[in-house]
Amino acid sequence: MHRLLKITFQSIHAIWAFKLRTVFCLISVALGIASITVIVAATEGAYQKAFEIVGRFGPDALLVFGGGEEARATGQRQKTITLDDIDAVKQSFYSAYLVVPMTSMRDIQVSYKDKKYQTLIVGSTSDYSQVWTWPVMQGSDFTGEDVKGLRNVGLIGQFLAAELFGDEDPVGKTILVRRIPVQIVGVLSERGTTPTGNRLDDRVIMPITTIMRKLQNETKYVSAMRIRFLDQQNLYTYVDEMRSFLRKRHRLHQEEPDDFTIISPREIVKFLVALTGSLVAFLGVTGLIALIVAGFVLANLFLLSVRERTKEIGIRRATGAKKRDILIQFLGESVLITTLGGLCGFLLALVAARLLMSIAQFPIHFSWKAFVIGLLLSWAVVIGFGLQPANRAANLKPIEAIKG
Amino acid sequence: MPLCLLDDIRKTYKMGDVAIEVLRGIHLQVEQGEFVAIMGTSGSGKTTLMNIIGCLDVATSGRYMLADREISRLSDDELSVIRNEHIGFVFQNFYLLPYATVLENVLLPSLYIDKRRDNFEQKAAGLLQTVGLKERIKFKPPQLSGGEQQRVAIARALMNDPDLLLTDEPTGQLDSKTAVEIMDLLAQMNRDGKTVIVITHDPNIAAYAGRTVRIQDGVIMQ
Repeated sequence: MHRLLKITFQSIHAIWAFKLRTVFCLISVALGIASITVIVAATEGAYQKAFEIVGRFGPDALLVFGGGEEARATGQRQKTITLDDIDAVKQSFYSAYLVVPMTSMRDIQVSYKDKKYQTLIVGSTSDYSQVWTWPVMQGSDFTGEDVKGLRNVGLIGQFLAAELFGDEDPVGKTILVRRIPVQIVGVLSERGTTPTGNRLDDRVIMPITTIMRKLQNETKYVSAMRIRFLDQQNLYTYVDEMRSFLRKRHRLHQEEPDDFTIISPREIVKFLVALTGSLVAFLGVTGLIALIVAGFVLANLFLLSVRERTKEIGIRRATGAKKRDILIQFLGESVLITTLGGLCGFLLALVAARLLMSIAQFPIHFSWKAFVIGLLLSWAVVIGFGLQPANRAANLKPIEAIKG
Repeated sequence: MPLCLLDDIRKTYKMGDVAIEVLRGIHLQVEQGEFVAIMGTSGSGKTTLMNIIGCLDVATSGRYMLADREISRLSDDELSVIRNEHIGFVFQNFYLLPYATVLENVLLPSLYIDKRRDNFEQKAAGLLQTVGLKERIKFKPPQLSGGEQQRVAIARALMNDPDLLLTDEPTGQLDSKTAVEIMDLLAQMNRDGKTVIVITHDPNIAAYAGRTVRIQDGVIMQ
């Protein structure tokens, strides 16, 4: 043990003595490890984000849109879901404790005094806030009476409240939605953005009846329905049941595609993976290349170093170093350098992640996992690329080495 | 028992299909406390002989006893231990580590001792005082003159109290005045009880030894 300690100290001595080699190895290993660490952290971040989004969507919830898979872009959705469909679902799915219709209108102008804003208007029932787990923060929710009475009341999002009212309390004030005066009864809590980056906090929620009659002149069709089930574990059975139920109600033939789209938590995960997957894959390939390049840099510089230090090896062997001692010294040099490079790489990754997050709003999550993977990879680099030069050093014949 | 006993030592190198016999039956005894010069021209086999005496290389055939141990059959690791404990080398080109200090260079042989806790540094400093370099302890070899570097090498050779000081053209890189100083130092080590072998082609150097052995074409001339 004492001998090992002394030899390790020789490694440190050489690392310090051959500064240029150390710096080059350190930088290349650090870059390689940094990129790998960012990838691991990004992958973890993406998963965490996915869980978060699913959690917000509701692990027990479904969302059914009108229009098939082909017309998925929200603007071009056909309306195929009727209020009757919603009543039928309520009656047939006993486990569905909330079935809420929704209808929406995009790019509607709302104004308060001289302030104007274009936004999304959502019509729903008084269960909207509950079905989306989106609590009213100020004032109160609108009521079943408001829905029945087609009253001109509404909830607004945090962002819109700030845009229109500034520091004023919006509750009780009246805004214009197109030309209809609507009284604000409550402000929703902050919600952030959708996975695709659309702002959620600038919408206006009103009784669905008011919107259908007064803005859409519509009596039958709504945009979507949101359903929550009591038994989350059977959610995917309900997805299948819902599909055949709606197909039957819409009288679709076997060969016809669905005229509606069911969004489940599983769909959301799929979408998120597709969104982040390609970026992660790209970074992954880049990182791997960087790490391999780092390995080659390390191997080359160490081979050069062994050649340059042949005499040193000869002197050490002549004064009693065993092969093992030489191996340990040179391997020790590369282990220490790559470990140090790994640590620098991790710090570099923290900085790079900051940048990436501020530029691309890419979810990144650092944990011990990213750190451990980085460290293990740097040791893999040593085994892959540092062992051979060290072995060559150890196996030099003393008489050859001393000749130089 | 003599310190070194070489009995019919032969060394053959294979160059492709051709075998070259460099040492052709060397018989040599070196007693404890002797100062022996091995003289020969280049190509006489004196370097090969030094390598074998110094346990850096093993003979193709023959018997070599050093400090009552049969060397010919030892493994690489065992040879390392023998070199570490019994032999101190002084080379023509000094062979110091350029990036380590004078003191660290002298300490080198002590790295490969398994013994714990011995005040090696104090001992190395003492040896540097003996060779007259106490003030240069923190210097690096490139800052020293040739003579000073060779003194460091001698201090290093003495670090593990070897039985044998094996020197190969120790003055080859030095001017004549410095050469005299170095040879005086080696002679002093010999008077203090060290067995010294000096390998040289120079009769003036060989003159310091108590006995001169001439080697020519791989055999000892009587």
